[in-house]
Amino acid sequence: MINQEKWIASLPIKNTRFSNIKNQLDHDRWINTIPKKNVHSSMNKYFLITILFVCGLLFVSAVKNETRILQKEINNLETSINAIKYNLDQTIIDNEVITSPENISLLAKEYLNIYLVSYKRSQIKQIKEEVKKSNEINKTKKEKINKEKMKNLPANIKLKVAKRIEEKKTEIRKLQALYSNPKLIPAEIKTQVANQIEEKKTELRNIYRSPKNVITLEKVGKWSVVQVVKVFLGMPIIPGR
Amino acid sequence: MENKKKSFYFEDYAEPELTNNNKFNIVKVSLNRVAFLSFIFFSLLLIFSVKIIYLSLASEKSFYSNNIKKDFVKKRRDIVDRHGSVLATNVILYDVGVRPKLLKEKEKKNLLIKLSLLFPELDLNKIRNKLDKKDFFSIGKRLTPKIKDQFWLMGNKAFVFDPSPSRIYPQKNLFSHVLGQTDDANEGISGVEKFFDKNLNNEDKINLPLSLTLDSNLQHLIRRELVNAEADFHNIGSGAILMNVENGEILSLVSLPDYDLNQRVSISDNIYTNKITLGVYELGSVFKTFTIAAGLENKVINSNTIFKNLKNNLTCDKYTINEHDKLPKNLSAEQILIRSSNIGAVRIAQKVGVEKYRDFLNSLELFDTINFDLEEIGTPLPFKWGKCKLATSSYGHGITTTPLQLARAYAILGNGGYKIKPSILKTKTKSLKKKEQIISNKTSNIINSMLRKIVSLDEGTANFADIKGYDVGGKTGTALKYSSKEKLNTFVALFPANRPKYVLLVMLDEPKPAPNFVYEFLRSEKFPNGYKHKGETRNTSGWNTVVVAGKIIEKIGPILAINNLETSINF
Repeated sequence: MINQEKWIASLPIKNTRFSNIKNQLDHDRWINTIPKKNVHSSMNKYFLITILFVCGLLFVSAVKNETRILQKEINNLETSINAIKYNLDQTIIDNEVITSPENISLLAKEYLNIYLVSYKRSQIKQIKEEVKKSNEINKTKKEKINKEKMKNLPANIKLKVAKRIEEKKTEIRKLQALYSNPKLIPAEIKTQVANQIEEKKTELRNIYRSPKNVITLEKVGKWSVVQVVKVFLGMPIIPGR
Repeated sequence: MENKKKSFYFEDYAEPELTNNNKFNIVKVSLNRVAFLSFIFFSLLLIFSVKIIYLSLASEKSFYSNNIKKDFVKKRRDIVDRHGSVLATNVILYDVGVRPKLLKEKEKKNLLIKLSLLFPELDLNKIRNKLDKKDFFSIGKRLTPKIKDQFWLMGNKAFVFDPSPSRIYPQKNLFSHVLGQTDDANEGISGVEKFFDKNLNNEDKINLPLSLTLDSNLQHLIRRELVNAEADFHNIGSGAILMNVENGEILSLVSLPDYDLNQRVSISDNIYTNKITLGVYELGSVFKTFTIAAGLENKVINSNTIFKNLKNNLTCDKYTINEHDKLPKNLSAEQILIRSSNIGAVRIAQKVGVEKYRDFLNSLELFDTINFDLEEIGTPLPFKWGKCKLATSSYGHGITTTPLQLARAYAILGNGGYKIKPSILKTKTKSLKKKEQIISNKTSNIINSMLRKIVSLDEGTANFADIKGYDVGGKTGTALKYSSKEKLNTFVALFPANRPKYVLLVMLDEPKPAPNFVYEFLRSEKFPNGYKHKGETRNTSGWNTVVVAGKIIEKIGPILAINNLETSINF
């Protein structure tokens, strides 16, 4: 026989905290679970698209208007340029007609009551000789002035200048001889140049690494003095302005 | 209750789902519309963007050209002379037409009144007839913008204006034979306009004018002297060419009669042919210079070779060769040229021989068609060489050539024997040293000194061209024309004779004796105080062409000398 007690005991114990009021069907709660209409987001979409569309329309019309204005302006400029060109052409033609040899000789006949005689070959020769003479006179004048200047210089200065010129000449000659064939340049000079390049490189590197260190008090002082001098002289502080 | 609740629950739950689906469809439809509109918008945006890019990138002349006067003109390059003076340029001219159908009777009458007031030169009866009978007629062609505006300001709807490009020539007649003309389509039909048609229409060079070697001032001076010569010697035409012997540049090319290029007249009469390039003539004694040069070049004579017992006439087949004047019986080669002895020239040619003489003339390209910068080029008449032809050709009879080729041959003789190509197109000049030498320097020098003596010595035939200071040398030529038996007188001058720089050829077509002309002899041994001579009846080159050439050299000499002075070349 079935032990009722046993089966009854297997039944779950009654929840004493269960409240009927609490567990009553809440419509509102259920209704809230129903997915809401997506009214808000679709409105946003429409709004955005309309704004975009209107903006686009405005933009297109603005662009179109702008192009029309541009076209008009270009057209006007073209017309005015062509009008100027046309007038220039007309003026050139007028000038050519007025200054044509035929017209000039006609006008000369009409208005100049003098008999025009052609230049003779001897006269042209004379002109040539005169030009030559005047050139020669100018040359000799310049030479004389230079000679007088040289004469007025004291003997010491003359000697010094002559010495300097000689020194420079010999230097140039040496350099020319040296650089005419780079392979023959001595190794010492090459290393010197290489060292100089290296020094410059390291300087540049330092400037990039710590630019603040480059600005020293001395440099700032110098720069400010230069700027003050510039202001006094009326020179622009920033070059090119 | 439970069922009801359930049903309520399910109905309530299902209904919004259904309604939501409908709404979604509505949104879908509106989204499609928006997509369509935005597609249109973006398309428009693209079109305008493309247009903006096009506007910014397009070349200035590719749009809006229809409203602008000059842009629809078919462009053609200007032609200028060596100093940049405009010889030919483009303008817009207008054809004005009338459409009578657009006018009422009253308006027609009004139009006639207005036309009679504004344009009294118009034939009103003709216009009245045309107004009544025709659907369309032209009232004016090739009108200037000013006259077109006068028509336009009348404000009549019946007027039709047709603009067309047109070529104008500010120098009018001056370069008529050189420049040529264009047709209504603005295409070259003659002269430089035709020869350089492609070049003139080259759009890449449209703003660069075509520069010619011609000089307007020299051209004017030469033309003026030729025009004056017509009054003195009553010739029916004339021609002249001035060429630089070193590079073949032609400074002046005149042929008279000429015509105003702006009038666009049809030139069909032979008298209007370009006498220098197209005319083929028997030029007479100017060929004697080549005979002497051939003798010198082939070393069969030298300038002092004496020809003894020269007869007064010779007969060869049916031809009789006469001397033009009484000359000494014994003459040196030099004297033969100076005194222009026909028999002496024949003797020299015979000494040279047919083949060598022919080869010499061929080397000067006197009988080929010259390669020149104009369409109007003449071809010398062909002939067969023989003993008689040798005799007649030695003094320039029975053989023909163009004055242009003659001038070139003289230039070659004068420049040391170097071949040159005559040209009117300005290019970089080439050094003579690079050119082919066809005559020795020695021959050239001897010929130059002989030519000088023809002008400077009293027994020479060209004393009137001895213009002081310019050291002129030259040779005269008097020939009879086949057709009319009238004369064709030529003079070819080389100056300065010690080292020629220019060759000037002057030709008078059918000159007449000028008994009223006063010839002025300069001071010389023969006439220590100078001499004026009137009543001359001789009609040889020495009495007309040389006079004209002398006047030309007197006028152009200073310009050439000054130009050379400026370029520091000795002249």
